[in-house]
Amino acid sequence: MNPPSTPQSYLDQGNAASVGAGSGQGRAVESEDEALVRRMAAGDDQALGVLYDRWHPVVHGVVSRMLRQADDVEDVVEETFWQAWRQASRFDRARGAVQTWLLTIARSRALDRVRALRRRREEPLEGDDGQDVVQQVAEGDPGLDAEASERRRLVVAALSGLPAEQREALELGYFGGLSQSEIAERTGQPLGTVKTRMRLALQKLRSQLQVLGSEGEGSG
Amino acid sequence: MSEGMTHEQAREALEALALDALDASERGAVMAHVATCAICQSELAALENTAGELALAAAPIPMPPAQRDRIRARLLARAAADRAPELSAAAAPQLRVETGRSAAGGDVTPLRPYTKVRRTFGPAAWMAMAAGLVAILGVGAFLKASRERDAARQSLAAVQAATGTQLAALDSLRATLTARERMISSLIGPQVAVMTLASTNPASPTGRMFWDQQRDAWTFVAHRVPMPKTGRTYQMWLVTPTAKISAGTFMPSPDGEVMMQATYALPKDSLAAVAVTDEPMGGSPQPTTAPMMVASK
Repeated sequence: MNPPSTPQSYLDQGNAASVGAGSGQGRAVESEDEALVRRMAAGDDQALGVLYDRWHPVVHGVVSRMLRQADDVEDVVEETFWQAWRQASRFDRARGAVQTWLLTIARSRALDRVRALRRRREEPLEGDDGQDVVQQVAEGDPGLDAEASERRRLVVAALSGLPAEQREALELGYFGGLSQSEIAERTGQPLGTVKTRMRLALQKLRSQLQVLGSEGEGSG
Repeated sequence: MSEGMTHEQAREALEALALDALDASERGAVMAHVATCAICQSELAALENTAGELALAAAPIPMPPAQRDRIRARLLARAAADRAPELSAAAAPQLRVETGRSAAGGDVTPLRPYTKVRRTFGPAAWMAMAAGLVAILGVGAFLKASRERDAARQSLAAVQAATGTQLAALDSLRATLTARERMISSLIGPQVAVMTLASTNPASPTGRMFWDQQRDAWTFVAHRVPMPKTGRTYQMWLVTPTAKISAGTFMPSPDGEVMMQATYALPKDSLAAVAVTDEPMGGSPQPTTAPMMVASK
């Protein structure tokens, strides 16, 4: 797959502490997380330990939001970092920050488990119940360093800027693991409406993150 | 255009694809278009990055220290094993780790043939038979499980590259992969005790028991196990100073291979030995024959 042609300044800022604000896609300095992933790719298991120490609260937070059973959460957290270890050589810094890569893995593994559980138990939904994540930003960010905390603030701010019904579609799909048809069934909205809301939501989130990221660079 | 989907139709579905929220019926057609469209590929990559950032909206949750450390230990053990050079079967014996108490100086202290063992055997006899055996890392079993895991992983990757119509197959492969990963963890985890069961005759069966004390999981792997007589089966026993606890019955494959798993919570210090006896089909409440294989903890 080709690298994205769209501006990615907000992604580059994800490692601003070591990269430097506004360094853009052409940055040459390797972030601390990127160095860890490079060492992992070379077979350094201690680097995996450090990456785990840095990011396990965030991964645990995402996985806990999608799965209810503690055993499932523990398994998925472990499998997330295990997949990161196995695929470290495939990490491409041009496509995004390490944290985005890691959290994408976490969400994907959790989604697999959510769907497998639903099929096995024939339950309508495991995981997210539509609870609004935005309110959680004020609770503090235990375990997050300053740059990750700032990045999280931007994402929550961008989500807060979305209309409630668009945010709901986004969260039911992302954290709940529901397909568009399932969201339509859950919310009682026509499928076409759900599709439109989801499309607009992600587009707005993308542009909002770009704007907020640019403002952050300008003020920083 | 694959399955009749136009560029515009596919483009409108890219956000849902990036969120993995497309219905299966639509997903295959969209992916088929994306595979042939550089514009959509680029757009999808950007949208996937945005979707990936959504995870940050969830509040971080520190794990309880015990859970945090448990996962960390398992990860590092798996990573250490994963980066080890590919082991050949011939090299396996070199990796044996003795834990002491080997009376004969060899890797495995031969046992008396079971036909010569006393017919009345109390705990003392079981302890005596178990004495002198050593714990050995089960490299062969680990390699077998690793190969199965890698095969499952490769199959999974291949299926993922196909269209969304293969979700059922994906499910099965993921289950296989998860089971293999769990088995490997139960073989190489930091709290896994390994016992080797053996007998004197080189042609006799040999086996290893892996006790994952964290998960109360027991994995028994054996080779050269003869098929029992008609109406008979093998039964595994966990021997404590006060009881012989059945861990289940098993039958070997036609080529004498055994892979048996059981779950039983046993206090860490209470196990004295594990043993295998020949029993009537269905198993016995207590052993009725002398053990044909036995090992100490």
